[in-house]
Amino acid sequence: MYPIILLSFLGIVVLFLGFAKSKAILLPATLLFLAVALVGNFVEWNQGTIIYFYNMLAVNNLTLAFNGIVLVSAFMIVAMTRGFQDDDEAQPAEYYAIMLFSLVGAFMMIGFENLIMLFLGLEILSVAMYVLTGSDKRNLRSNEAALKYFLMGAFATGILLFGIALLYGATGSFTLTGIQAYIGQGNPSYLLYGGLLLVLIGMLFKVSAAPFHFWTPDVYEGAPTIFTAFMATIVKTAGFAALFRLLSHSFTGIYDYWWITLAVITVLTLLVGNIIAVYQDSFKRMLAYSSISHAGYLLIALTAMTPQTENSILFYSMAYSVATICAFGVLIPLAREKAMTGKPRETYEAFNGLARNNPLLAFVLTVSMLSLAGIPLTAGFWGKFFVFGSAAERGIIWLLVVAILMSAVGIYYYFRVIMAAYMKEGDTAEIRVAPFYKIVLVTATIITLLFGIAPGLFTGLV
Amino acid sequence: MLTILLILIPLVAGLLTFFLGGSNAKIIALAGALAELATAVFAWTQFDPAAGAQFGFQYDWITASGISFAASVDGISMLLVLLTTFLVPLIVLSAFGHNYQNPATFFALILFMESALVGVFTTTDAFLFYFFFEVALIPVYFLAAVWGGENRLKVTFKFFVYTIFGSLFMLVALVYLYYQTPGTHSSAITAFYDLQLTPAAQGWLFWAFFIAFAIKMPLFPFHTWQPDTYTESPTPATMLLAGIMLKMGVYGLIRILLPITPLALNQWGAVAIVLSVIGIVYGSIIAIQQRDMKRLVAYSSFAHVGLMAAGVFSTTLNGMQGALIQMLAHGINVVGMFFIIDIIFSRTNTRYLDHLGGITQKTPSLSVYFMIMLLGSVALPLTSGFVGEFLLLAGVFEYNNWLGAAAGLTIILGAVYLLRMFQKSMFGATSVNTEHFQELTLSERAVLIPLTIMVFWIGIYPSTFLEMTEPTVNQLLRFIHN
Amino acid sequence: MLTDFGIILLFIIAGFALLGVVLGVGRLLRPDNPNPEKNSTYESGEDPVGNANVQFNVRFYVVALIFVLFEVELVFLFPWAVVFGREDLIAQTEGRWGWFALAEMTVFVGILALGLAYAWAKGYLDWVKPKPHVSQFDSPVPSELYEQLNERYAGKAGKGMEEKSNQLP
Repeated sequence: MYPIILLSFLGIVVLFLGFAKSKAILLPATLLFLAVALVGNFVEWNQGTIIYFYNMLAVNNLTLAFNGIVLVSAFMIVAMTRGFQDDDEAQPAEYYAIMLFSLVGAFMMIGFENLIMLFLGLEILSVAMYVLTGSDKRNLRSNEAALKYFLMGAFATGILLFGIALLYGATGSFTLTGIQAYIGQGNPSYLLYGGLLLVLIGMLFKVSAAPFHFWTPDVYEGAPTIFTAFMATIVKTAGFAALFRLLSHSFTGIYDYWWITLAVITVLTLLVGNIIAVYQDSFKRMLAYSSISHAGYLLIALTAMTPQTENSILFYSMAYSVATICAFGVLIPLAREKAMTGKPRETYEAFNGLARNNPLLAFVLTVSMLSLAGIPLTAGFWGKFFVFGSAAERGIIWLLVVAILMSAVGIYYYFRVIMAAYMKEGDTAEIRVAPFYKIVLVTATIITLLFGIAPGLFTGLV
Repeated sequence: MLTILLILIPLVAGLLTFFLGGSNAKIIALAGALAELATAVFAWTQFDPAAGAQFGFQYDWITASGISFAASVDGISMLLVLLTTFLVPLIVLSAFGHNYQNPATFFALILFMESALVGVFTTTDAFLFYFFFEVALIPVYFLAAVWGGENRLKVTFKFFVYTIFGSLFMLVALVYLYYQTPGTHSSAITAFYDLQLTPAAQGWLFWAFFIAFAIKMPLFPFHTWQPDTYTESPTPATMLLAGIMLKMGVYGLIRILLPITPLALNQWGAVAIVLSVIGIVYGSIIAIQQRDMKRLVAYSSFAHVGLMAAGVFSTTLNGMQGALIQMLAHGINVVGMFFIIDIIFSRTNTRYLDHLGGITQKTPSLSVYFMIMLLGSVALPLTSGFVGEFLLLAGVFEYNNWLGAAAGLTIILGAVYLLRMFQKSMFGATSVNTEHFQELTLSERAVLIPLTIMVFWIGIYPSTFLEMTEPTVNQLLRFIHN
Repeated sequence: MLTDFGIILLFIIAGFALLGVVLGVGRLLRPDNPNPEKNSTYESGEDPVGNANVQFNVRFYVVALIFVLFEVELVFLFPWAVVFGREDLIAQTEGRWGWFALAEMTVFVGILALGLAYAWAKGYLDWVKPKPHVSQFDSPVPSELYEQLNERYAGKAGKGMEEKSNQLP
């Protein structure tokens, strides 16, 4: 609850800090604000479920943990921006403010009690993302991506709203408990099913599940890399937290109706994400498809909807976010270095021979790729493990088998990067990375390894 | 408590090697491996075969899911821990003659691998087993992919994807079993033993586990990664793969597959044995055609592991005991042979039989060691291979005479390809490559002598090891046949 | 029995009916003698030039956005005044209710004011910008191509096109 108020206010403060002569204050200020929000977030830890604003928002340990993941991810990503120092066109104050505002949207999605809050949160987050995607004004790809994202997103929002309207028509309530109570009476109206389907479509679009994924590769590739990282981690985490909240709080009564729909989408997402990723030459595009495939893994847990699901999604989001930040974090300085000699190179070849002169970056990259591929000793392994566990508990073995086959496919494209970094000859010069940037990368790597060895540290928290 | 020491010592030694290594990396690594060996031998002296699992420990790992970090040592584990801890110092020592780049990383990876291997062989928790099973793959992948031969990228990649693919099936099976356990779920391997599963479910589980372990060993038809990987890897990695990692598959059969799916064995056991026997004959025949020595030994290893699997699937006391003692013997023989091939390669720069010859005239001592290792592999009485192969064949004969006869081909064909290799490389006129063949160095002898001693020890007095494993095997068999 | 939605349906029907009635009555009553002057878009006498789909200066949008900002504020102030302006509650709480309602609205108006201040400070309210900021936009299409196109189609697309191309920098 506090982070919503804090960041709404501090975002405005950041906006006005932009008028200061020196832009150097912006980065530390934003980081400080995020830290304050993080502290504010955990003030309410272990106090049970608290309802705010007349049944609009709820706070409990699960939502706080999701908030925490979002905040820590945002902290790492902001720390990697280096204040946009080397870019005259950049508007750092606006970027930071928009990021902080978008976090408010994410929190609203994570803790919504009322569908209106879900919609508001989603819009705050999405609109911020449209702007950030197009923030590189001189880059045609960025412009195209922003427009594409905006148009598609607007459609999805429309569908979501229509779904919410139908739900209201059927149940006469916007609140999660109201919908649940309506379903509890038995014999729900057909409007309810239609509404649920439309709401699901709207939400699945935001988390880029197939067949609503078409925007993802272009937008991820076109957006400035730092904002791609933001999109890939925070939007996805918040989106899945919201989906989980919606389905688990309101729709468990008609599980038999929606699980098969979700299972089909899951399979489709896994197939599309993994198989198309194999054919990519651009690392950034590969990460886009990999993010689709990870949406698929998260959907497995949602499809299963067991008591384990909340922990699975939480852990998976954490592992995925940290590893993704690492991957983009290595790409940014690498692509920048290459840009000085010509065009930014984001292909696999750019990583050739990375390990020779940049052992740290290569190691960070390796750990993140291993984690994304779900190899033991990394947090990603346990993420997959818990997700598969919830599906096994529900007894959907065929879904598991598809997921397993696709994990094996995933290894192929993640290892291409590792092989390029360690085993191919390349001319990558030593890349200078700011000490603070290094700290972020190393911390993220340590988190990945720590939770890979002792996942109990994390699962014990919630 | 000894078990946790066994897992931690190589890990710590590996970290020390990695961070403090520098030019002394190999010394630190050797010291660590020897300390581990000493601990294992100490555990052996304290070990009581009749007492079942001992030296155990258990910590909560993921409390919420009932997954614990638990390990202990019983007869089967003890044997394999001894094999691992005995071979790793020799493997480290065998790398002394080479100047690998980044020695600190190289030796650290070997020690990390040892830690994971000991973990696989001792753990009593199914998920921990899977964890170590996978983790063991990572160091050896990097060893092979970074320090390997020309084609290493493609080959190791295939190897990695293949094995991960297989073990993912095992993961599904384990997760499934975990949710079958009563109450608040447990992932102890023994808890899986007690499950009452339907024959149909056991059938599925059988194949999930079988694919995982068959790829690791490898069995026909999952072996296609193996010859290339063995050939392209640097010799220490090949030794780790063939000498120890292959045993993970057989160990998995004994520890996981048989006791969890005994009913499926009635239904599918015959298929598994037939596949194993096909592997024996197929591997042997291909080995005869090989001109590259490393490849030849790779195929011979493929043939031998087929026999071990057949023995295990026969679920007879002879077959199981034979498989266990053969794991020990094969580990020692194959490491010895790969090392000798490495010695030849380092001096002549070739492994092709056509380019070699006449080495006996230059270094008789090497040919003597080579002969001993070969005879161990060919299963001459009084050498290590004999005991294992005899028991294994006895076990397979008990199961089915025809299969036993087919499996028996391994001895004849083995003699054909191995002695041919010996003759082509050691006898005859010297070639351009072997003219200036140098005498063995001290460190090379230091590797070969312990191996030779073990070949004879196992061949002459196998009871040391057979008695160690017998109570555990008996208990296991009683469980399977009930 | 009318449900709530039935009432809405009635409203819709009534809306259409009213429209039809008003237009129909107008048609019957008004004198009908058209001339070109009367049929033009702007009866003030201004002749429309070219197509309606021309590019507007982007500053119009900023102004429109700021206008929306105030409109939303105003729309929100009405229900606030109606719902919170209850004398009985103010009396019961000895005035605290009023202060509370005022504070809530101050927060809202304050944030909007900050937004306006931001736009002001950024210079979006100045119609004439003192220093035009030349964009370094790097288009892969060379500018000569545009000029050639303009020359080729000059006069063909009518007066409107010319106007439009002249507006471009």
